[in-house]
Amino acid sequence: MAQYSAQLDGVFIALADPTRRGVIRRLGRGPTSVGELAREFPMTLPSFMKHIHTLESNGLIHTAKSGRVRTCVLNRERLAVVDDWLAEQRQTWEERTDRLERLVTDPEENTR
Amino acid sequence: MNPDLDLTLERVIRAPRATVWRAWTEPDRFEKWWLPAPTLCRVDRLDVRPGGALVTRMSDDGLEFAPHLDAIFIVVDDLERIVFTNVIDSAWRPTDPSPVPMTAEITLGDHPDGTDYRVIVRHGDPAARARHQEIGFADGWGSVTGQLAALAEGEAPR
Repeated sequence: MAQYSAQLDGVFIALADPTRRGVIRRLGRGPTSVGELAREFPMTLPSFMKHIHTLESNGLIHTAKSGRVRTCVLNRERLAVVDDWLAEQRQTWEERTDRLERLVTDPEENTR
Repeated sequence: MNPDLDLTLERVIRAPRATVWRAWTEPDRFEKWWLPAPTLCRVDRLDVRPGGALVTRMSDDGLEFAPHLDAIFIVVDDLERIVFTNVIDSAWRPTDPSPVPMTAEITLGDHPDGTDYRVIVRHGDPAARARHQEIGFADGWGSVTGQLAALAEGEAPR
């Protein structure tokens, strides 16, 4: 649950910026090189690379370098993490109740 | 109950209510089931009374324990019902819990085979958190997937 929570935080942080949302929107149309992406956003390349790095470190995009060109690809699975929270909570509680049940029905645990 | 936000769970546990109650209220027992192995749970505070603290820590190596839950009990009916929330911490300070604010209600009833164990977890709306962080999703969590799809397909979110 803590790991899921950290993932969710990362996705929210990554999406809480108009430039990064713009990059995600652009990548929804298909993989794009960093150079091509950077031209669409009015900022210096180092500033833009920081956004790319934030998106990549939070798993929302992948990048791959081929020769001198670095290409960015959207990770759609990561976007889905924000919608699976209720299923995750349900699983947490189901498993927690399984463990409680095992403990209270274990004769060795209840002899004292 | 709001099916988009809440979950319910019902189980017949083949043990007496008093045994299940002890597993909830005695720290050395609570630690044994609260978190999935191999993660270790340590109870810092388990003060099972209204306003009492429920504070747990977790560890992967048994040496360093990180915060897990810092919550309070809001209703405690002996052997029958426990309600706690993570929206207020053990110092009674309002919090912004991650991933989502919730109130959990656990009820223990008699059953011929043991204990009729029920859980209702009422969650806050995570979209409210998203809005707070200016992500700009439309109202309602149910539409988030659609919004993300639209975002990813190159349409501006509504």
